[in-house]
Amino acid sequence: MPENNNNHGANGFISTHKDINVEDIMASIKKRIQEKKDSGLLRQAEIDEIEDMELLPLPDFLEIPNVYEPHLYPEHKAEDFQPFHIEAEIEAGLVKKILGKIRGLLMPLLRFMLRPFVSDLKNLTVKLHNLNKEDIHNLKQTIPITFQSKEYIKLLHNIINNMIVESSKLKIEEELLKTKLKVLEDKIEFLENRERAIEKKLFTEGDREGERKTRKK
Amino acid sequence: MNIHQFLTSYSYGDAIGNEALEIRNFLRTKGYQSEIFAHLYHPKYADQIINYREYDHYSDKDNIIIFHFSIGSPVTRKFLLAPDKKVIIYHNITPHHFFLDYHRILAKDCYKGRIELKNLVDKVDLALGDSSYNEQELKDAGFANTGVLPLVMNFEKFDRPIVPVLKELFDDGKSNILFVGRIIPNKMVEDVIKTFYLYQKHFHANSRLFIVGEYRGFERYLSALHNFTLKLGVKEVHFTGHIPDDELISYFKLSHLYLHMSVHEGFCAPVPESFYLNIPVIAFNTGAVKETMNNGGILVKKKDFISIAALMDKVLTDSNLKEKILASQHKALEKYYQNKTGKILLEHITRLKKF
Repeated sequence: MPENNNNHGANGFISTHKDINVEDIMASIKKRIQEKKDSGLLRQAEIDEIEDMELLPLPDFLEIPNVYEPHLYPEHKAEDFQPFHIEAEIEAGLVKKILGKIRGLLMPLLRFMLRPFVSDLKNLTVKLHNLNKEDIHNLKQTIPITFQSKEYIKLLHNIINNMIVESSKLKIEEELLKTKLKVLEDKIEFLENRERAIEKKLFTEGDREGERKTRKK
Repeated sequence: MNIHQFLTSYSYGDAIGNEALEIRNFLRTKGYQSEIFAHLYHPKYADQIINYREYDHYSDKDNIIIFHFSIGSPVTRKFLLAPDKKVIIYHNITPHHFFLDYHRILAKDCYKGRIELKNLVDKVDLALGDSSYNEQELKDAGFANTGVLPLVMNFEKFDRPIVPVLKELFDDGKSNILFVGRIIPNKMVEDVIKTFYLYQKHFHANSRLFIVGEYRGFERYLSALHNFTLKLGVKEVHFTGHIPDDELISYFKLSHLYLHMSVHEGFCAPVPESFYLNIPVIAFNTGAVKETMNNGGILVKKKDFISIAALMDKVLTDSNLKEKILASQHKALEKYYQNKTGKILLEHITRLKKF
């Protein structure tokens, strides 16, 4: 079937059947757009903005990994996961001061995270004050986490990381639920309109039927 | 000789499923025994579709199996193992990159599908594309014996009245713009919305947009489209979701213009459907769209949204132009009537019998 091409710009804009005058269509379109531009209703900036607008899809939350999962859930260890070593660090001097300040800054968070264990820790602190070096060594073996500030910070890091991951997932889920809600709202609105239309149709038909019966009588 | 068909999935309103049904009915009228075998199908169709695993009971070396190939699936293996003569109808596979951000499983199946297609070379007796575009892809993949079978469509199903309630709701003097298709990224629904926004804002405020199609599995894409619509502030955009046939036909009949902005199409069934229902079509030139339009309607070669919006206005306000477009669409439609496509199908079958 013959085709009619228009060379609007370098690559042409539209093509259609040969019986349709593409030049006329293009001239008319250009005129309409120019009129809109001249009247100030349409700006080139708006056209460009619309052309450049892109969809912003939500990320797939399944793709966000729990990177520290093996530390938190040892039974789900990754194959390459190496168990951390227990190392005791005795801090002194300037290091102690610096670490003390860092801990001071992190204290509100530590308090929040340790709240369930506060009473145990208090007892532990009292016991620690009364212990000698040998007892301390024994204690390291039995409850090593108390002495492993490095591992403890790692653990906190894990928790915070996973909290961020989980809250991101929740945010995405919230957005998806919002969309589902919007879809449901639209459907309800549509069904309400539909219901009204049916009622209107039924009552109009009912009224007509009633009138007919009255006339017959 | 029996001629059976294989499908990966048969879903309600799906163009490939509809074609399989039309082919089956056509073959039955020509005296062939014909059944449809599928991997996934709605229980509603349990009386019409047979599970593909049961094909062993029907298989025979004198039979022909037609496999509607559109995605990677376990059906391919069953098809290859059967001793029957083998035909594939290639409906094209959407490039997997469109789905990477939205549906990883589908992306994987599409990727696998293209690999499976290459594995079918030399193992099928005939490879048909539903457009020359698809046939070319088959040739590029290495198939030697290829041909074209335009989508077998039954337009009689469109000869139904509009659902009265929808008529009451939407036949109110507004200009209704229609898009039909799955709500998936390659359909570029956002471009339809952009164009409609400019049309509604600058040319015809009293207008609405129907976006008719399934979105299950693509909720994040739908969510992004909703946010996009809100950001633009465009009014009267209706996402209908998956709807029954009678409602789909009503939406077609209530619409004044069909707008298609997809960037990948192996055929584009809504175009001939709109042609049949006398709705002027404006579609973006991609994949097989130009061939499907067959010089009917208006083919847009560049996504210049403001010009497309002005074109929509021109088509809807210039009755003389609209009549010419509808006449061109009427001529273009001739190649899709079932007696023509049915004849082509029979020619391919006769060709196959000689092997």
